[in-house]
Amino acid sequence: MQPAPTRRQPDSPRHARKMADSLADSRPERTNPDQLLVEEIRQGKPDAWTRLIAQYEGRLLAFVESRLSYRKGGRRAASEDVVQDAFIGFLTSLPNYDSRRRLESWLFSIAAHKLTDYLRREGRRPAIPLSTGDGSSGNWELVGRARKASSIARSGERRGLEDEAIAEGIQGQIAKWRQEGDWKKIQCLELLFVAGQPNKKVAAELEMSEQQVANLKFDFLERLRNLVRNQRLSEDVFPELYEG
Amino acid sequence: MPDPITTAEFEAYLDEALPSERMALIEAALRDAPELAHQLTSIAGRRDAGVHSLGGIWRRHRLSCPSREQLGGYLLGVLEPSHGDYLKFHLETVGCRYCTASLADLEAQHETSTGGQSKGQSKGQSAGQSAGQSASGDEAASRRNKYFQSSAGYLS
Repeated sequence: MQPAPTRRQPDSPRHARKMADSLADSRPERTNPDQLLVEEIRQGKPDAWTRLIAQYEGRLLAFVESRLSYRKGGRRAASEDVVQDAFIGFLTSLPNYDSRRRLESWLFSIAAHKLTDYLRREGRRPAIPLSTGDGSSGNWELVGRARKASSIARSGERRGLEDEAIAEGIQGQIAKWRQEGDWKKIQCLELLFVAGQPNKKVAAELEMSEQQVANLKFDFLERLRNLVRNQRLSEDVFPELYEG
Repeated sequence: MPDPITTAEFEAYLDEALPSERMALIEAALRDAPELAHQLTSIAGRRDAGVHSLGGIWRRHRLSCPSREQLGGYLLGVLEPSHGDYLKFHLETVGCRYCTASLADLEAQHETSTGGQSKGQSKGQSAGQSAGQSASGDEAASRRNKYFQSSAGYLS
């Protein structure tokens, strides 16, 4: 078992929440069982905490274990320790959690950070210097020590708004294609932007012509460029939208 | 020869979001090739400075991830075929770590609740599966108890 982390006080709940928002799922949901569960946990109810653990530990363990059991040999206990740290991390970061967010995504992001820490301690994962986006010092928690809180919070707030605007734009497009059963378009863009594959490879994978892939990519980016323009967001922070 | 590592993959690597095999491959590549480490540092720096990537936003918000119910439908094979094909693509081609973990959990739960029972099994097989089912349930209960005991002190 890893030593329990020291409790930290939020520098500013509002700013910390904004920072947290940028890492979690932004799809708002009306009052749902997860919101009620988190509310009860905030009230310190042990039964609610037991229910959350029962509901989520299996998928968190599967997430961690898929990585640690990649090399065979007695990684189960280590996986359980990482999940244990993730649950403790959830409770200590509860002031930052926005209940409109999807609870599962929040828990996965904490587990990912704890797993990164573990792999780094084990020497498997090289540390990336001067980055807040790698490991538990990342911005799912509170403001880092190395930068002034005011500058982080300001950039975090703006970054959150930009992030949300683009996410809503993409989500609207995906929802439309889902409704129309046009799965291939979703697949195409997922390969292009999530996997970062070149047009040629995507075309081969999905049995499309390169021209079809290029047209779809252009239309998609054009919609997002319009969105950036209409919402008066900075073009500089979305370089992909303006690359040749 | 493995596919070259894309910028989108480096970003996903930072978020611990790639399939395990690909994560391990990138770790090994980073050790062997200092120029890749520089590339990753540069990507992390750009991200820290507030530059967005579409893939990062897509992945973080899980914009194309199915719901848990849809994953359950996929497991039971009750989704409309084209939807099922998409989920297969999301899980196997894109390799979404979160959905893969959620599906593994659903499979384990399904296995525990049914004992993996199918038609035509002998009584001996059923008894063996019941014992396995019980052991698996006990392990989960023990784990959950351990998680609760170690964390309950942090409840406000």
